Amino acid sequence: MYQVEASKALLKPKLWARRSARLNVPRNVVMLGMVSMLTDVSSEMVATILPLYLVFSLGASPLALGAIDGTYRGAAALVQVISGFAADRWRRPKQVAEAGYGISAVGKVALVAAGNTIGGIGAIVAFDRIGKGIRTAPRDALISLSSSKAGLATAFGVHRAMDSAGAMLGPLIAFGILLAAPARFDAVFVVSTFFAVLGVAVLVLTVQGRPKRAPRVDDGTPPPSLRAALGLVRDRRVVVLLIAAAVLSLTSVSDAMLYVGLQRKIDFEPAVFPLLYVITAVAFMGLAIPVGQLADRVGRVPVLLCGYALLFVVYGALLMSSLGYGLLVLCLLGLGGYFAATEGVFAALAGAILPEELQASGLGMLTTVISIGNLVSSVAFGALWLTLGLKGAVLVFAVALALAIAAAVPLLLRSQRTPVHG
Amino acid sequence: MGSRNNKILAAIVVLCVLGAGAYIAYAALSPSETTTDARPKARAVLAGSDVMVRAVEPSNPRLNGRVFIVDHGSVKQLPGDLSCERVYYAAGRGICMGIAPSGVDYTAEIFDAKMETEHQIALTGLPSRARVSSDGRYGAMTVFVTGDSYLSSPTAFSTRTTILDMASGKQVGQLEQFKVTKDGKPFDAIDFNFWGVTFDPRDSNRFYATLGTAGVHYLVEGNVREKSMRTLREGVECPSLSPDGKQIAYKSRIGKEDRWHLRVLDVATLEDHAVAEERSIDDQVEWLDDDTLAYSDEKNVYTVPADGSGEPELLVRDATSPARLDGPDLPQ
Repeated sequence: MYQVEASKALLKPKLWARRSARLNVPRNVVMLGMVSMLTDVSSEMVATILPLYLVFSLGASPLALGAIDGTYRGAAALVQVISGFAADRWRRPKQVAEAGYGISAVGKVALVAAGNTIGGIGAIVAFDRIGKGIRTAPRDALISLSSSKAGLATAFGVHRAMDSAGAMLGPLIAFGILLAAPARFDAVFVVSTFFAVLGVAVLVLTVQGRPKRAPRVDDGTPPPSLRAALGLVRDRRVVVLLIAAAVLSLTSVSDAMLYVGLQRKIDFEPAVFPLLYVITAVAFMGLAIPVGQLADRVGRVPVLLCGYALLFVVYGALLMSSLGYGLLVLCLLGLGGYFAATEGVFAALAGAILPEELQASGLGMLTTVISIGNLVSSVAFGALWLTLGLKGAVLVFAVALALAIAAAVPLLLRSQRTPVHG
Repeated sequence: MGSRNNKILAAIVVLCVLGAGAYIAYAALSPSETTTDARPKARAVLAGSDVMVRAVEPSNPRLNGRVFIVDHGSVKQLPGDLSCERVYYAAGRGICMGIAPSGVDYTAEIFDAKMETEHQIALTGLPSRARVSSDGRYGAMTVFVTGDSYLSSPTAFSTRTTILDMASGKQVGQLEQFKVTKDGKPFDAIDFNFWGVTFDPRDSNRFYATLGTAGVHYLVEGNVREKSMRTLREGVECPSLSPDGKQIAYKSRIGKEDRWHLRVLDVATLEDHAVAEERSIDDQVEWLDDDTLAYSDEKNVYTVPADGSGEPELLVRDATSPARLDGPDLPQ
């Protein structure tokens, strides 16, 4: 959902690296972050040049891109919940994650070998997305199980910062290669494959499959059944968290739509457009770790709500009659802060209350709820824009988001209460 | 875990770095082909005005995208080192949309009759359409944007269309920011995409273009100075006005597919008819005169009578992006 497609405008990426030495983050989390970073470099390298490659080397119409893009999103939809449950059922989150990362890596190899037809590329891109769907829930479960409950938001912050660093570096590396070897798309595919293979190697060789909070497998308890996984929704704390995630994501407009809205407000040069993504992504990257630490210290619920409050402020900016460049940059920094305060923190909220043996299932449910919510909100926002105009649509969403935040306060607080057994 | 795994990982890292480095070096150092004899070939006999085209030679980077002029059947390369994916020219100035000299970015160049660059404009996406008004005052460029296309419908794509002041190279406006009305009422949606501008040859302030939204493709009529547009009818993409301004050639989508037939529309009555080209064509048609269309199938340039009679004829081989050359200030 969060993509950096045009970070070629970014000349000097801010590196997260120097900060993490001071952080007390489990090695497993840093290694999983490394895996995500390498894999994202690999995927984004290809995603960036795919349009160039399709049009200039294969002579495809840019419209073919739309069809491929559709394959992208269709492919990953429900895989997350299933793979999450599979990871819990087999008690092997690491192996399920390996399968997901492995499938994407195999897709890259296939791109090198057979990437010269449009159908082939469509299939390979879909492959990549399915791999992403498979790996997300077990990987988040591993991050959660590797961290102490008190440090969950920091751990997810570190992971998300490294993840988006990879998404920023990928396009830069791809363009660097094309600068050195003009029009040699094969070189980009080959290097992308090496990054994907490295990602899998780091996962296989350095990540602990049974981290400290992982349930023990040798004590004779049976693996969780499908019923137990579905039973998660009968757990009061889980269900209120999922409801809060649903109402908040249903009222959140995707960043790409906000950019289009901002573009209608300010008559900036088209060349500036990619910078919107870059500024937001850099802010997200830079803030993810400190905001995660803050969440662990002062409480995850208030930080998460502050994140949505930032989104509310950005809606407010869209309602103003005119916007200057200064306010535009503030909006983008606000969006970066919103991502930093919500992306990883939601996962941390879930990780803290899910039973150890059902972490992957629960985290899979959470991401599915959020992505379906975002999808519905995008469609609704588009429809409102058509009937009420941009201002009307933003106004409706601003009111809805305010109500959602108000509704989420008791829900989120209840979800984090220590359970009263009975 | 432990040190054995670390050693294996270190070995894999070294292998990957060496492999990637070696491949980049190989790709960077291997020579590209340099055949220079291939070039667009024109049909032996060509009546009517001169035409500017760009060469299609994907295997030959030295020739691909170079600008040629077709003059009564003879083809000659224009001077300069412009390399274009899309080119257009009128009244002393042209637009060349292509890959930047760095090879990794898109750029548009406004060039003069000597084929020298006057202005450079960074583009945010794949070059798609270019037009210059017949008085040389305004230019229009459409690019495909890939960054913000992934969120709407599955077959969504996103375009951005800019109107330029040709003399200064400055942006006059983006169609995305013009006010649109439909049946007299304001009309706006997040998935608005505009492409394929054509200027009125009698008044460059007026133009036609395509507005795509929710799967419908409207013909819009616009005004540059007022930054406004209104919808005229549905089912029209990439309009192109005839030199007398009385007819619009356009591509008409076949069902919901990305396939199009060429048709011609009477501006006064909005009635239209097919032309004799039966293949699917994805191009913004050019008029050679008030009776003849020129277009490319992305390999060669063809002509066909605008009134629906006759049949397509090959005009130039290995070329796309035809632009009629008439009037003053022809490129040399």
